[in-house]
Amino acid sequence: MSDLALVPRGASRLWRLVPAIALATVIVLLTAGGLMARYVDHANARQEQDEVSAQARVLASTVTAALSFNDRRAAQEYVNAIRANPQIEAAGIYDAGGKLFAGYRKSPDVGLPADAQPGDPRFVGGRLIVAVPVTADGTSLGTVYLRSFTEPFALRLQRYGVIGLLMTMASVVVAVLGVMQLTQRRANEELGRRAEQLTMANQALEVQIEQREKVEEALRQSQKMEAIGQLTGGVAHDFNNLLQVILGNLERLGRRRPGGSPAAAAEHRLIEAASRAAGRAATLTQRLLAFSRRQPLTPKALDLNRLMAGLLDLLGRTLGEAIRVETVLAGGLWRVFADENQLENALLNLAVNARDAMPRGGHLTLETQNARLDEAYARGHQEVRAGDYVMVSVSDTGVGMTKEVLARAFDPFFTTKDVGQGTGLGLSQVYGFVRQSGGHVRIDSAPGQGASIKLYLPRFFELDPLDALDTPAPAPQPVPLGNRHEAILVVEDEDDVRNFTRDTLRELGYDVREAANGPAALEALERNPGLRLLFTDIGLPGGLNGRQLADEVRRRWPGIRVLLTTGYTRDAMVRQGRLDPGVELLIKPFTEADLARKIREVLDG
Amino acid sequence: MPRRPASQFWYRPAGWTAVWLIAFAVLHAAPTQGAPLEYAVKATYLHKFAPFVEWPSPAAEFPGGAFTVCVVGDDPLGALLDRAVSGQEVAGRPIVVRRFATVTGNPGCAVLYAIGSDTEPVAAILAAVRGAPVLTVTDAVTDPAAKGIINFVIQEDRVRFEIDNSIAAADGLTISSKLLSLAVHVTGGSR
Repeated sequence: MSDLALVPRGASRLWRLVPAIALATVIVLLTAGGLMARYVDHANARQEQDEVSAQARVLASTVTAALSFNDRRAAQEYVNAIRANPQIEAAGIYDAGGKLFAGYRKSPDVGLPADAQPGDPRFVGGRLIVAVPVTADGTSLGTVYLRSFTEPFALRLQRYGVIGLLMTMASVVVAVLGVMQLTQRRANEELGRRAEQLTMANQALEVQIEQREKVEEALRQSQKMEAIGQLTGGVAHDFNNLLQVILGNLERLGRRRPGGSPAAAAEHRLIEAASRAAGRAATLTQRLLAFSRRQPLTPKALDLNRLMAGLLDLLGRTLGEAIRVETVLAGGLWRVFADENQLENALLNLAVNARDAMPRGGHLTLETQNARLDEAYARGHQEVRAGDYVMVSVSDTGVGMTKEVLARAFDPFFTTKDVGQGTGLGLSQVYGFVRQSGGHVRIDSAPGQGASIKLYLPRFFELDPLDALDTPAPAPQPVPLGNRHEAILVVEDEDDVRNFTRDTLRELGYDVREAANGPAALEALERNPGLRLLFTDIGLPGGLNGRQLADEVRRRWPGIRVLLTTGYTRDAMVRQGRLDPGVELLIKPFTEADLARKIREVLDG
Repeated sequence: MPRRPASQFWYRPAGWTAVWLIAFAVLHAAPTQGAPLEYAVKATYLHKFAPFVEWPSPAAEFPGGAFTVCVVGDDPLGALLDRAVSGQEVAGRPIVVRRFATVTGNPGCAVLYAIGSDTEPVAAILAAVRGAPVLTVTDAVTDPAAKGIINFVIQEDRVRFEIDNSIAAADGLTISSKLLSLAVHVTGGSR
C-alpha cells in the first residue's frame, strides 16, 4: 500500500513549478497583449498617415496645371473630389505664396487655415494633418493640405478592448489551470498522506487481530484444559474413594490371615498382586489429579541445579546408552517454591518422552536458567503472569512434533505412542503440576527438529533453609497404635470409606464414633465430650463442609484436634497452600500405615 | 471631371457686363497700356505650359541648350515677358526669349507666341512652322485657320485657353491631360 504514489516523484518537482509558470505566462501574455496593442496602434497611425499622404500627393499632382494657370474652378473641382473619402475633414490647395487657392470642408462649421506650407505629417487634436508640396518640373507651385479624422478613440479602445479581452481570457484560463494544478497537487498529497495513515492503521489492526487470535487460542486451550481438568478431577476423586476401599480391605484381609501354610502363602500372593494393581491404579489417579491440579502438593524452596544433579544419576540408568545427556546449568539460579517429588516426576516424564522420540539415539539436554516473562508475553498467553521465573528445559534431537500434535500435547490420554505403550498422561501431569505451582509450560518443536519443553516456575523470594534437600528420608517405622481412651470422630459421607476408616482405627485401638455429615458430627461432639480428635472429609453434604465443621469445632471445643482428608487438595490448598494452625491434612487414598502415623502425629503434636 | 455648363453663366447680367467691358478693352485699348495685367498673365503662361507639354526630343524642347520662348510679330508683351521668365527655369534649364518680326520656319523655338503683323499675319506664321515640334500660341484668334496649338481666350475676366490637340499631335507634341482639362475648348484628341 505504501507504494501508492499518485504523482511520480520525479515529476512532482516540475508540477510544483506549475503555479509559478502560470503566473509568468499570465504576465507574459498581458505584456505581449499591451505591446501588441501599442504596435497595432502605431502601425495603424503609420498606415493612416501613409494613406492620407498618398491621397495628398495624388491631389498635389492633379492640381499642378490648375495652380499653374490659376484655374480656381478646376482646382475646386479637384479638391471637391476628395469628398469621396469620408475620413477627410478638410482639404485645401494653397498657391506658391501659401495663400488658400481652393478648399473643401466636410461640414460648414469646420475651418481651413488661410495659409499653409508643406511640412511633416502631424496629429493635432485627434486629427491627422498632412501638407505636401505641389511641384511641376522641379518648381514649387503650392501646397496641398489635408486634414483627416483619425480613428476615434472609442473605436480604438474597442479594438484594444477585444485584444485585451482575449489576453485576459487566455490569462484567466492559464491561471485557472495553474490553480487547478495546485489544488490537485495538494489533494494528491493529502490523499497520499491519508493512504499512508490508513496503511499504518491497517498494520496496527492486523497486529491487534493477530494478538487477539493468539489470546483467543490460548483462552480456548486453557478453557479446554480447565474443562478436562474438572472432568478428570471428578473421576479421579471417585476413583480414589474406590481405591481407598479396595486397598484398605486388601490390607486388612492380608493381616487377618497369618502366614505359614502354603495355602495362606498363595492367598497372600493373590492379595499382594491385587494390592499392586490397586496401587498402580492409585498412581494413575494421582496423575489425573496432577493434571487437574488437584493433587496435594508439598511445596518447598528448591534449588533446581541441585535437583538436576540428583536427577542425572537416575536418568543415566533409565535412558540407556544411545542417549547422551548434557546439562547446562546456570549460575546464580533463583530458587523456586515447588513440590520436589512432583517436579522430579515431571522431569522424568519429559526425559522418558524425549527418549521415546529418539529411537536411534541422540542428545538430551537439561538446562536451567533465570528467565523473565514480560507483559507482552503474558498478553499472548492466557495463563501467564509477567514476572521472574526459573526455567528448566528438557530438549531432545528427536522426531519432533507436528502442529496438530503440539496443539493436543497436553490433553489427557492423548498419545502418539502405540496402544499400551503410553498412558497419554505424562505431559498432562507435567502441565497440571506446573500450572498448580503457578508456572508455565512451553513446547518448541517442529517435525524433524526435535523438541524442547520448557518449564517456567515462579521465582521464590522467601529465605527458606535449603537444608531439607539434604535431610535423608526418615526410616520406615512401625505403625503406631492408639488406646481406648483416645476417642476419635470420623466424618465421611461415603459409607465404604467411613466404614473402612472406622474399622481401621478400631483395629489400631482407638475409640471411634462416626457421622455422615456436619450437623450429625456436631451432635455427636455434644453428646461425647471426651472426643479428642475430629477426622473429617472436606467434601461433605448437608450445608456444612469439612473445613467449616473444623472451624466450628475449633471455636467451640478448642481442645479437640482436627485432621482433614480429601481426595483432592484444591479445597485444602486454597489459602495459599497453608492450613490453619492445629489443623492437619491426610490425602486420599491413604494406607492404614499412613492413617495410623498421621493420627498419632496429630494426637501427640 | 464634369464641367459646369457655360450656359448658366451667360444668363447672368453681371456676366454680360463683364464680357462687354473686356471686349471693349481688348478691341480699343492700347495693348501695352490697356490691359497690363492680362498680358502679364499671358507672359507668365508662355513658359508655364512647358511642364505639361512633351516635345518629341530634348533638342526640340531645349534648342541651343535653353528653353526658348519666341515672340513673332508685333510684340505686345515687351518687358513683361522678360520679367516673367527672369529667374525661371524649365527642368533646370534657363529660359531665353527671342523676338522675330517674321519667320520662314522654326528658328529654334520651344514655344512660339504668334502675334503676327501686317507683313506676316498669324496664319502665315503658323503655316511657316507647321510640322516643326514647336508649341504655337496665338492670342484670342477667332479664325480657326489662324489658331495655334494653344489659343488664349478671355473668359470670366480671366485668361483661359483653347487647345488644338490635333495640330499638337501632327507636330509631334504631346499635351498633358492636366492641361487639356483646364482648356476652355479642346479640338481633337481626348478633350
